[in-house]
Amino acid sequence: MPEGLLEQVINGLMMGSIYVLVALGMVLIYGVMHVLNFAHGVLLAVGAYVSHLLLSRITGSYVLAVVLSMAVLAVIGVALEHAVFRPLRGNLRNQVIASLGLILAIENTVMWIWGPNALQMKIPSTQSIVALGELRFNLHLLVVIGVTLSVVLALFLFLRFTKLGTAIRATSQSAEAALVVGIPVERVHRLTFALSTALAALGGALLGPLFLVFPAMGDEPLVKGLAGIILGGMGSVPGAVIGALAIGVVEAVSTLYFPTDYRDSVAFMMIVLVLLVRPQGLFGVRVRGED
Amino acid sequence: MKTDWRKSGAILGLILGPVGILYCLPFLVSGQPYLLHVIALSCLYAIPAIGLNVMLGYTGLVSLGHMAFAGIGAYTAAVLMVDAKLGFWSALAAATLAAGAAGFAVGAICLRFRSHYFMIVTLAFGLLLHSVMNNWDAVTRGAAGFPGIPRPAPLALGEWAYPFGPLPNFYRLALTGLLVAFAFQWLIVNSKFGRVLAAIRQDEKLAAFKGANTMLYKTTAFAIGSAIAGFGGVLFVSFLRAASPDAFSLAESINMVLIVIIGGAGYLAGPILGALLYIGVPEYLRAANELRLVLFGALLVLITLFAPQGLAGLLERGWRRLRR
Amino acid sequence: MEAIAPMSLLEARAVEKRYGGVVALAGCSVVIERPGIYGLIGPNGAGKTTLFDVITGATLPDAGSVGIEGRDITGLAPYRLKSIGVSRTFQECRVFPQFTCLENLLFALQLHGGGKAKEAHRMLELVNLHGSAHEPASSLSFGQRRLLEIVGTFIVQPKFLLLDEPASGVNPVLLETLADFLRTMYRERPGVFLIVEHNMQFIMQLANELIVMHQGVVLDRGAPAAIQASPRVIEAYLG
Repeated sequence: MPEGLLEQVINGLMMGSIYVLVALGMVLIYGVMHVLNFAHGVLLAVGAYVSHLLLSRITGSYVLAVVLSMAVLAVIGVALEHAVFRPLRGNLRNQVIASLGLILAIENTVMWIWGPNALQMKIPSTQSIVALGELRFNLHLLVVIGVTLSVVLALFLFLRFTKLGTAIRATSQSAEAALVVGIPVERVHRLTFALSTALAALGGALLGPLFLVFPAMGDEPLVKGLAGIILGGMGSVPGAVIGALAIGVVEAVSTLYFPTDYRDSVAFMMIVLVLLVRPQGLFGVRVRGED
Repeated sequence: MKTDWRKSGAILGLILGPVGILYCLPFLVSGQPYLLHVIALSCLYAIPAIGLNVMLGYTGLVSLGHMAFAGIGAYTAAVLMVDAKLGFWSALAAATLAAGAAGFAVGAICLRFRSHYFMIVTLAFGLLLHSVMNNWDAVTRGAAGFPGIPRPAPLALGEWAYPFGPLPNFYRLALTGLLVAFAFQWLIVNSKFGRVLAAIRQDEKLAAFKGANTMLYKTTAFAIGSAIAGFGGVLFVSFLRAASPDAFSLAESINMVLIVIIGGAGYLAGPILGALLYIGVPEYLRAANELRLVLFGALLVLITLFAPQGLAGLLERGWRRLRR
Repeated sequence: MEAIAPMSLLEARAVEKRYGGVVALAGCSVVIERPGIYGLIGPNGAGKTTLFDVITGATLPDAGSVGIEGRDITGLAPYRLKSIGVSRTFQECRVFPQFTCLENLLFALQLHGGGKAKEAHRMLELVNLHGSAHEPASSLSFGQRRLLEIVGTFIVQPKFLLLDEPASGVNPVLLETLADFLRTMYRERPGVFLIVEHNMQFIMQLANELIVMHQGVVLDRGAPAAIQASPRVIEAYLG
């Protein structure tokens, strides 16, 4: 085994976990509303800033800050769905363009309020080191992976076994059929948005303490999350998870063989390659034609 | 016959008049070099916007990687001028062609996909190209940027020489570049080719059934838009005398979409209005950079919701109402 | 002198097509050897539009082939249809909404040689749309848009016309205009007119032969009167 492989795999799983949270948010919205919300990355950043604010000003508890930040972002998500995405329903091009406008407006609002300089988030789990054999890892790294896995499991159970979760799955397969069966499609849309923005907030709150909190911190996870859902297949939730983790791991492992400068390009190239070779991804669901 | 001449004369006057004034602008604002700088910059931003307008406004292709092609033009010219010691005009021509060729190649790949996927692939290509600009230090000088890009050599006519160092002179060059791009856009839109693009934008499947090889038309439109972007990119870095990858990043590509949509996608004057608004207004207001982008982002959302035809569309509607 | 078997004009051979679990065409074969107005009828889900889609290259069949004038055109790209003389309309009625009526008609002509504005005007007059010649197609009523769409397929002088439910959504007055137009066009240039229709009244008065499809295959064909009386056909519609 090449030196450093295990270490990179674990690093990859960690970053991959962040990508998973973004990817899940995007794939849920895509599945239910057939729209790609490019503003997801910036919402991750907002989640980080809000949790930082809560942690430093309101509560000393990291966990509470994270949970509250998820709640705040869920509310923001519902507001966005109502004000921007609902009126533009059916017009894909305009929805994407509107989400671009949101990126600009939100990212620069953050910059305007908090300034362009990065903030630090100091929490206990980043200060402790965990030993795995010969390797030393920051505890927070494992926290990220653990929390994400739990969330994925919880989401899976939610989608599979609860009434609301089933409603979401039904709506993503066919909005018309869902309406016929009596599912409140509008409510499902709102809920899906709230859920996915909450996931973005979690991603931001987890990512923040790892490196730094800065306005553009969501841009990279956005693209990597996108690569993840392309790899996994645009309509597939398990695909999003596996795809995003795979991107994280491949990208991290690639630094053992290629200059680290090109690490980001791995995700970009994956997007192009997957679309050329197998556009429906690993677990692709053929969504209704976009003719 | 006489009336025809008079009418043509009137139209020509209507066009040449304002154009003449624009060329004389440096004299009108001679005390405010900053204003002239802003106007020159607006012209330079409008050129890639025109390229994107051909793609997005007229053909309906939402490309999220447009500025990467401006970068290809810019860096190709930089390398040709600085490393290969080529003259400005040859470098400009070569760089424009290079950007167009790259556009054709990338377009041929991206256009195999529809809607969502198309946008994503263009995004990915834009990021890849930007990464190359950032990391291929040997050629592009990397993230620090490519310094020492010259202005064009002075135009010499016998004893008289017209240098491009001074701002007013380069402004006139930028203006000329904009007019060339604008004329080219006008020719395309009013040609048979442009008619097919308009058909593709309205209903691509129908256009194919009516006999148009839509893939070829779309790829050509993509190539043309990229070439125009490259053309603008060369002028841009010559103006600043340096090239930086930041100018051709994903953020800039998104800003370009913003300029085209707010200005009015599918309208000839849209890109110019958008660029003026984007560059000119905040400079005039002396607003902080972040606030400008917040307002523009919000404006984009509002325009998409309430006035998707953009500024040019609104103006046209207002003009029509006035005439009634 | 022994004649070589006449080349069929339009032929579908054992065409199969499924969409997911649904069988749209189950080995559908039909041969058309003479020009004429053919009505393609059958209950919903019989596969009529799918057959159109396969013939015009909008979709690839899972098996089987289609041929025009002896030449295999299976999977031919839609944009090549014009060059082999095939033109079609769509069930949902497709026109270019922002082009004027005139521009809609001239567009198809423009791609292959020049646009004969005079011919376009004449066609518009035949369907009473000349008043809207310079109005965008989006301003027309649905029935008028249908007429525009159909006129648009004729203007390129095709040999094979595939019309998908041309009468659907058209009011009785316009239906008369449409029927007259189709008859006029046939008189001027006889070709193969293949018309999918549910409006029996409309198609009966127009077609010289009916082809009945059911569950993805051709069930029967013949003169309208004979088909009306055919027990198999009656059972298919009622059963």
